[in-house]
Amino acid sequence: MCSINDIFFAIFDFVITNAMDNYTYLCNSNTQRVDDMSKSKVASKRVYSKTIRRVWQCKWLYLMLVPVIAYYVIFKYVPMYGITIAFKNYNIFKGITESPWCGLDIFEKIFRSKTLWNAIRNTLVLNFTTLLASFPLTIIVSLMLNEIRVVRFKKVTQSILYLPHFVSWVVVAGIATNLFSLQGGSINNILNGIGFESVPFLSDNGWWIFTYMICNVWKEIGWGTIIYLAALTSVDESLYEAAYLDGATKFQRLIYITLPLIRPFIVTMLILQISRLMTIGLDAPLLLGNDKVAAVSEVISTYVYRLGIENAKYSESTAIGLFQSVVNIIILLAADKFAKITTEEGII
Amino acid sequence: MSRFIAGGKSRITVGAALLYLSIILLTFVCLYPFLNVLAYSLSGYNAVLSRRVTFFPIDFNLDAYKQILGRPQIWMAMRTTVLVTLMGTFSSLLLTVIAAYVLSRRNLPGKKAFTVLILFTMYFSGGMIPTFMVVKGIGLYDTLGALFLPQAISVFNFIVMRTFFQNLPSSLEESAEIDGASELQVLIKIILPVSLSILATIGLFYAVGYWNTYFDALLYIQDPDKYTLQLRLRSLLFGEELNNSNANLEGIGTQVMTQSLKMATVAVSTIPILIVYPWLQKYFVKGVMLGSLKG
Repeated sequence: MCSINDIFFAIFDFVITNAMDNYTYLCNSNTQRVDDMSKSKVASKRVYSKTIRRVWQCKWLYLMLVPVIAYYVIFKYVPMYGITIAFKNYNIFKGITESPWCGLDIFEKIFRSKTLWNAIRNTLVLNFTTLLASFPLTIIVSLMLNEIRVVRFKKVTQSILYLPHFVSWVVVAGIATNLFSLQGGSINNILNGIGFESVPFLSDNGWWIFTYMICNVWKEIGWGTIIYLAALTSVDESLYEAAYLDGATKFQRLIYITLPLIRPFIVTMLILQISRLMTIGLDAPLLLGNDKVAAVSEVISTYVYRLGIENAKYSESTAIGLFQSVVNIIILLAADKFAKITTEEGII
Repeated sequence: MSRFIAGGKSRITVGAALLYLSIILLTFVCLYPFLNVLAYSLSGYNAVLSRRVTFFPIDFNLDAYKQILGRPQIWMAMRTTVLVTLMGTFSSLLLTVIAAYVLSRRNLPGKKAFTVLILFTMYFSGGMIPTFMVVKGIGLYDTLGALFLPQAISVFNFIVMRTFFQNLPSSLEESAEIDGASELQVLIKIILPVSLSILATIGLFYAVGYWNTYFDALLYIQDPDKYTLQLRLRSLLFGEELNNSNANLEGIGTQVMTQSLKMATVAVSTIPILIVYPWLQKYFVKGVMLGSLKG
């Protein structure tokens, strides 16, 4: 394939220029620093040769790094060059470089399609619902686990709660479709047993969002507690003792001591999760979704997959991917800035 | 607890009882889906047919397991998955160790630039299609290599490992270098032996990831003989495969039999994880803690 050669040349060019730039930058910065100190050209020359000597001394380290660099160039940076097809009328026979440029036509096309906006809306709805349920629940469960004093019991519980995290989405979806199915699904069996009607968990739009949320919460809630439990162990015990002696109830201690102390963690985690609202894994919606709920289960990632792989619309699919990446970066930078203001520490 | 009872504050004991009760309920909710899978896969034909199974197997038998383990496709998929997990974990670990070791060295010119180039890929990537085109272009399509090479290094794991290396006392390397050891010797003889716990952690992260990977297989594997366990499982659960192949042979009964067959397959593909899980768990927790400290 000729196109791949082109890619390699382009990237080679890019990497070489970049490497040169980096190198000169490095030398310059070193030079500058010493310049400021001694203000003599002789010294700067010495430093220049010193840098070369240091680079030479590290030659084995660079050599070791070669496979890593090769990996990043081939699988991460070459695909970034491939993004150019979002601005081209990609023709599979002409390859990436030879395909004609078409400006922003592709973007105009995708933004005009209703499916994309639908997918964006669904992504936000699913992520937001999940966040709304899992965020407070994770904190509550962490606080509960933190109150357990019987060490063995705590350990066993934690092991069980972390377990779902290690199960693949295929398995989760398989279990869920069996568990939640309308006819004879165990959940509906139980509901019928206590006198309720069967619920269309998987075939009604609203209920499907609920089911999606439940599956996500089930899978990740235990795992999510780890970070809070770590924060909770750093709380000073003597504060509790003092409060206990002052006659504070357990609940009061929780509200006035524990929560304020882990507040920075909570804020950071919240900002972090909000910054990921536009990102959605493909596994869960793809596996849990079905034709009946396609109107709510088609998210950005599944749309990219269907458009690109199933319908071979490479340019459109790449354009959507690029749009999502750019939006993500903007949200991330904004979130980082916000985090710096509120907690005095960035998230990047 | 006895302290509170002696103090006459029985209200708190009620609170504690409630706490323990709700925790037990929570663990039950976590475990119930697994129990349901077992119950279905071990139940008899009629019970599954009328879908009466909820908590315990009815008419206990092992037919579903016998049938599923009698299928050569399952064994082939198992073999593929084991292969991918082994090769993938090995290459991922190797590359991550190298990257983390080199970029944890203090006096390496250009270290920052390399690190930034790696971290950048965490926030921006070519996306699904361009990556797919590269994988296809270099001839990895429909090979097992496509299942582990394209995401050999996880940036998260790289950060965790680099943080670990950075926190090792620098005297370790220095003394070895004075003795004239090469960089590679330092890594193999000095650094790795004291890093076994982090190697285990990261290795296990990778291994579980490869074991569970399904979307890459869906994307890059076409030949059914190279299906991974998760992909085979998916086509059994949601595809036509099972329904068609059996329905013709045994008529209507098998339609229902499939439900216990499906759940038996779910069990078979999850049990390996359940077996190793107790040993892994403590390492995983450690890894997450390390990762949460920013590098």
